[in-house]
Amino acid sequence: MTTAALVRDLGVALAPDRVRAGALELALYERDASMLTGQASVVCFPTSAGEVSAAVRVCRDHGRPFVPRGSGTGLAGGATPLGQVAPVVIVTTKMNKILEVDSEQRFAWVEPGVLNLDLSTAVAHLGLHFAPDPSSQQSCSVGGNVANNSGGPHCLLYGVTSAHVLAMEVVLADGSVVVLGGIDPEPEGLDLRGAFVGSEGTMGIATRIAVRLTPLPPCVATLLADFSTIHDAAAAVTGVIAAGIIPAALEMMDATIVEVVEAYVHAGFPTDAAAVLLVEVDGLRGGVDVCTSDVEAILKAHGAREVRVAADAAERAAWWKGRKSAFGAIARIAPSYYLHDCVIPRTRLVDVLDEVGRIASSRDLVLGNVFHAGDGNLHPLIVFDRRAPGVLEKVHEAGRKIIETCVAAGGSLSGEHGIGIEKREAMDLVFTEVDLEAQKWLRDAFDPEGRCNPEKILPRGGSRCGDISSLPPGAWV
Amino acid sequence: MTLRLDPDELAACVSCGLCLPHCPTYRATGEEMLSPRGRIAAMRAVDAGAGIDDAFDRMMQTCVQCRACETACPSAVPFGRLMERTRQELAPRSVPAWQRLGYKALGSHRSLVGLTVLGGAAQRAGLVPHALARRLALPKLPMRQARLVPTGVDVWLFTGCVMDAWQRRVHESSIEVLDALRVGVALPGPGAACCGALHVHAGLHDEAVRLAGRTMGAFPGTAPILVDSAGCGAALKDYGHLLGRAGAAAFSARVFDIHEWIASRADQLPPAIDGAPRRRIAIQDPCHLRHVQRADSHVRTVLRPYGELVELADEGRCCGAGGAYSVLQPELAGLIRTQKVAAISAVEADVVASANPGCSMWLGAAGVPIRHPMEIVADAAGLHRRRWRPGRDRKMSRWLASSGKFGSGWKR
Ligand SMILES: Cc1cc2nc3c(=O)[nH]c(=O)nc-3n(C[C@H](O)[C@H](O)[C@H](O)COP(=O)(O)OP(=O)(O)OC[C@H]3O[C@@H](n4cnc5c(N)ncnc54)[C@H](O)[C@@H]3O)c2cc1C
Ligand code: SF4
Ligand code: SF4
Repeated sequence: MTTAALVRDLGVALAPDRVRAGALELALYERDASMLTGQASVVCFPTSAGEVSAAVRVCRDHGRPFVPRGSGTGLAGGATPLGQVAPVVIVTTKMNKILEVDSEQRFAWVEPGVLNLDLSTAVAHLGLHFAPDPSSQQSCSVGGNVANNSGGPHCLLYGVTSAHVLAMEVVLADGSVVVLGGIDPEPEGLDLRGAFVGSEGTMGIATRIAVRLTPLPPCVATLLADFSTIHDAAAAVTGVIAAGIIPAALEMMDATIVEVVEAYVHAGFPTDAAAVLLVEVDGLRGGVDVCTSDVEAILKAHGAREVRVAADAAERAAWWKGRKSAFGAIARIAPSYYLHDCVIPRTRLVDVLDEVGRIASSRDLVLGNVFHAGDGNLHPLIVFDRRAPGVLEKVHEAGRKIIETCVAAGGSLSGEHGIGIEKREAMDLVFTEVDLEAQKWLRDAFDPEGRCNPEKILPRGGSRCGDISSLPPGAWV
Repeated sequence: MTLRLDPDELAACVSCGLCLPHCPTYRATGEEMLSPRGRIAAMRAVDAGAGIDDAFDRMMQTCVQCRACETACPSAVPFGRLMERTRQELAPRSVPAWQRLGYKALGSHRSLVGLTVLGGAAQRAGLVPHALARRLALPKLPMRQARLVPTGVDVWLFTGCVMDAWQRRVHESSIEVLDALRVGVALPGPGAACCGALHVHAGLHDEAVRLAGRTMGAFPGTAPILVDSAGCGAALKDYGHLLGRAGAAAFSARVFDIHEWIASRADQLPPAIDGAPRRRIAIQDPCHLRHVQRADSHVRTVLRPYGELVELADEGRCCGAGGAYSVLQPELAGLIRTQKVAAISAVEADVVASANPGCSMWLGAAGVPIRHPMEIVADAAGLHRRRWRPGRDRKMSRWLASSGKFGSGWKR
């Protein structure tokens, strides 16, 4: 059937003005924040679960695949439309209401398009927040967090998204609506909620989500330590955890990152340091005081030149703003970058960081490190200008070497950004054929016809990294 | 046709989306077409040869030019410049004759005052259709206003167009507050009738340059130029860039938002009158104060002695006024305003402070109790008592002019 018929039927299912097929508009939905591009046939904006279900049925009747999309801040091409025929992009941004807040049982039902930070802001007066705090939290949607099982600096203590999702209503690929999980702590049967969280939009579209709300800590202390070698900083991270302290957050930034971030936020980061650690401890006043002095002593014992404690909420906010803007601020060096998201055992931090640094410097590439040090979730960023001749091949090769190094150290491909398109061809580095087959069965059980976000996560065979050879200017892979 | 934008400036956008929640049109709709990231991607497409069509034009015309995306952007994309250039390229196809006439009228103080009197009479006679009145968000237009009286030569006060024609009481308050600081205020001649900000936004570059030249001529000497309208202040501070001349840059360096200038002398502000109730003052940050002049903290410094300051939970998002935006894009502007009004209602303030005439008219038309910070200060410190009666001040100004006496002599 033609696209015109598809547009007409979707217009009947939703409303004509919320179904778009203009060339310019489609182009804006051909990728997410990753710049891995695809092609959409139609973009539509449902406002209710009923409309999502109706749109999915229209897709089924027309034999079209569809791609769920939240805010499009994904970094792995998860919301990039791919398929044998160009898919319909179903955008959740107009489904952005907080439906119910239960401050006693501490949960909320929200629509998928609610922004992560908006949710926390809306419940702050109740002394609560939504704990997963990706650096993109001001922009990303709760639906996207669920689909990518997103993490954030404070997930070291509080756990990633899956620990904060109780239940969700999902529209499956045939348009039927089911509820997975429940408000009860231990619902009966298989943990389908657990299977859905992290499925990157390949098992259906979440249309309502019950999230756990976490009390705001009564007391918080944030420490900023600067080191003259990355080595010392990495050793300090291991030292803190080895002492049995789990801070709320434990983040590292190297000199390259500190420089660009400071240029953006002017938060007083030491730009002459080789590495900076940002450590946050929270809890009851007494505990926080003890932890703060313990952490400070450990950092100093590992060679910290200076350890500062944030004087007030404003200083703390400025430090976090700096940390959380790092991915965007990097464009001040060069307009493109290639980012990895490997997780390695914390004990291997020092040698893996060394090796990653060597991989970049031996190819004359600029590399920055900004990452969740506490749980070994690296984010090595190669910064480059794609207009320079031959640079793409070098970047590509370095990327592959970085993944191989991390996997060889006992690590995994993705800590939180997801596999999407970008890392699907590297899946066989960590999973056996049997593992991959099992994953395919699970997916088929939810979506037997393969119409829900096709060509994501599971490898098709071919090159290892996302194809970065044909990107437009400003590419950010 | 291309937009001839700087490729490096365009390439600086890495599509991270961190600007999305700060953009009023994205917030109102959730659509990439109405987001900074989408607008930049579209500009890039046009410069790569995609051609300009109506969809592109609409994407650009729906931008409020609030520049919140610029503050939010970690990679320093100069969005304001990109959009101004784009509008300039689009102006021949996008700004119809009736709009050009309107922009012309702004540039001429006499036609604006004439229209104001006509409009005011029509309002009073009930001749302005309801729909039109709503769309224009007009306050009750003054038929006759007290003439402003200069008080000295320490600083200039920029008077401007709409502000002077419709909200002269704000200028009066500014003069009163400066007077309490023992700062004499000089007033410019008719050359300062319009800063050209709206012309820049509409892409009417040549007209903007002409008005900028005329405005500069109205402020001879080296005295600082204080501005009590956030949008005008941002425009005057940009003359250096607009005209690209050293003289213009030197002029821009003399320009201060009035709160910015007073903030460094805040310890000399007069105290609030004894026994006056401490009011809850919600701060509405005009975009061109917060995102362009980055002078939002100074408003707080100046107001702090006079009430309990309350912050809105929307991180200073735009109200939708946007110069001529509320007239040209009434539907989107209305959606944006609804969100702003909700944020304002949530904090239960006694009064809302806004340092921009456009915002205060637009929000005032939705029933928000809104005043300029200078009015709030003048009220709270009881400075209005010193005001001259309209009938007398003409005589007084003549006397001032003839006696060459400025400053403290005129009050009380
Ligand atoms: C500057 C920056 C910093 C970031 N920092 C972090 C970080 O610290 N930690 C982290 O984990 N991630 C981070 N990310 C990645 C990204 O923000 C997260 O993955 C986020 O959760 C994506 O949310 P979104 O709403 O943008 O989803 P999108 O990008 O729109 O979609 C992501 C995936 O979710 C699917 N999806 C979206 N909505 C639904 C739904 N309702 N139902 C089913 N599937 C759906 C899509 O199909 C896609 O596969 C960062 C990104 C940027 C740009
Ligand atoms: S304008 Fe800046 S904040 Fe917005 S998407 Fe581009 S780089 Fe990110
Ligand atoms: S200037 Fe304002 S309205 Fe325009 S894109 Fe930026 S944030 Fe949105």
